[in-house]
Amino acid sequence: MPVDGGGLSLTVNQTAPMPLRGSLTCQDGQLLALVGPSGAGKTSVLRVLAGLLQPASGRVVVGGQVWLDCAAGINLSPQQRRVGLVFQHYALMPHLTALDNVALALLHLPPPQRHHEARQWLQRVQLTGDLLLRRPAQLSGGQQQRVAVARALARAPRLLLLDEPFSAVDQLSRKGLYSLLADLRKDLSIPIVLVTHDLSEARMLADTLVVMDAGEVLQQGTPERLYRSPRNARVADLVGIQNRFHGQWLGPADQAGMGWLEWLPPPGAGAPGQRGVRLCVPDKGRLSVGQSVSWVIQGDGIHLSQPDASAQSPAAWPARMETVRHLGDLSLATVSLDDVPPVTLQLTLAGPQRQRWEEGQRVMLRLDPAWVHVMPTRSA
Amino acid sequence: MDTQALWLSFELATATLAVLLPLGLWAGRWLARARFTGKALLEAAVVLPLVLPPTVLGYYLLVALGGQSAIGAWVANVLGVQLTFSFAGLLVASVVFNIPFMVQPIQRAFESIPRDLAEAAQVSGLSAWQIFWRVELPLAWPGVLSACVLTFVHTLGEFGVVLMMGGNIPGETRTLAIAIYDKVQGFDLAGAHQMAGVLLVLSLVAVAASFFASARLVVKR
Repeated sequence: MPVDGGGLSLTVNQTAPMPLRGSLTCQDGQLLALVGPSGAGKTSVLRVLAGLLQPASGRVVVGGQVWLDCAAGINLSPQQRRVGLVFQHYALMPHLTALDNVALALLHLPPPQRHHEARQWLQRVQLTGDLLLRRPAQLSGGQQQRVAVARALARAPRLLLLDEPFSAVDQLSRKGLYSLLADLRKDLSIPIVLVTHDLSEARMLADTLVVMDAGEVLQQGTPERLYRSPRNARVADLVGIQNRFHGQWLGPADQAGMGWLEWLPPPGAGAPGQRGVRLCVPDKGRLSVGQSVSWVIQGDGIHLSQPDASAQSPAAWPARMETVRHLGDLSLATVSLDDVPPVTLQLTLAGPQRQRWEEGQRVMLRLDPAWVHVMPTRSA
Repeated sequence: MDTQALWLSFELATATLAVLLPLGLWAGRWLARARFTGKALLEAAVVLPLVLPPTVLGYYLLVALGGQSAIGAWVANVLGVQLTFSFAGLLVASVVFNIPFMVQPIQRAFESIPRDLAEAAQVSGLSAWQIFWRVELPLAWPGVLSACVLTFVHTLGEFGVVLMMGGNIPGETRTLAIAIYDKVQGFDLAGAHQMAGVLLVLSLVAVAASFFASARLVVKR
């Protein structure tokens, strides 16, 4: 049943046999990465999309065609969906050669054409020569993965699904496959969904991130948006934001669109009755006065200066450089704030200026309010 | 050498295989995939002929399929076939007695196929029949071959059930195993020795051939 619009949209809602709830969308030609801890439901979402798992309630529309609509009694079989799926361990047929594995997805064609096309797809993933006539056990992990990608693409899918495809290959093969995926994306104008637990991989490859936990879609957004404005503390944890802090919302400030946040040590970590420092930060009007909050700040919003240079600034606090580790072109540093012990910030220093910071040095810390994001406290 | 008994044993083994192979493929594959309450009980029932004394099984089959029983009377009236002391009865008994030899190796073979292969085939557009024919059967083939050889050889040497169900009618129900027993009873040890030797060599060759073929057929994963 065709409906308007391209891309992928999914809504799913079930509580048993396992919880699975949420929605996501992905435009044609875009890569969406599903991230979250083990058991978050990432692979289950992929299985719903492929038609290998029918949820209690849900709807899947791809390229304007309804693949699943539980309410309307529509559920296309995996065979009818035209989906390309690269399994985590590739699921190549061990008794077939690389060429026959790809030809298996082309059974609708006459046999000679089947092999001709399979050969072309394998060439496209840079697999040629006698490798085509080898069985999977005679190929390396990276080569097996290329066969799996070729097989997934051979049916001209309308949706490409990749289930942790990079987890079982070495670093070198992984880099080669990143570039292969980047090349394929230029030519494929279909939505691509990638399941991964590697956040740096997800950030590097994806246009959109979807964070899942305990079967629930917590947030969807561009990597930049997710890292800058996680919906809640759990999302911040799951996407690995290091500078996440505790605080209390004090209410609106005099300046429109701004509010007061008190930066506090985490519950149970500071001295009893300890007060923190007050920050004037952007306010979306969603928090109530006195509410316990989590807040994050990106490295771009953290500025360090010499103690004398910033002494005049009201929004700068005395701090101490705890650790500085020089790693190649970058240095990783932790800074502790005098007024909010035992809180430490982590930041990456780059450029020639990084060399002037040393462990134990006194510094002034200034936070750019524009990079501060405050959210309700919610944990696992 | 009682060649008539030898050929009858071959006929019975071939017919048992012909009936049991399709049944075993279906049941073995189904048991490998299905999850339901009472599966353990059903699997125990499949294995039962392996642990029951053949005379016990033969006795129950005699009671269940004899002319006095409902099944036996129905088969005799409708199909005109008597199931006791006949080749047809022997075949039924042999099929029942060989169920574990056929179903169990096939079930294990299908169980050893990773589930994601069938799913990969599904998303590659293969129908259920194509998945069975092009993916599952080639991978389960060593197990299927073992099941066939075990069933065939086991039928050749079957004694207790055959005797209970078929008696000892030359050309009809006297198999090689019964003929050997007859020879020993008649103190013809040379004749018994000859036939026992044939059975021993046949069984050894068949099992060794199946092991050799299985080792070659097993696909490295």
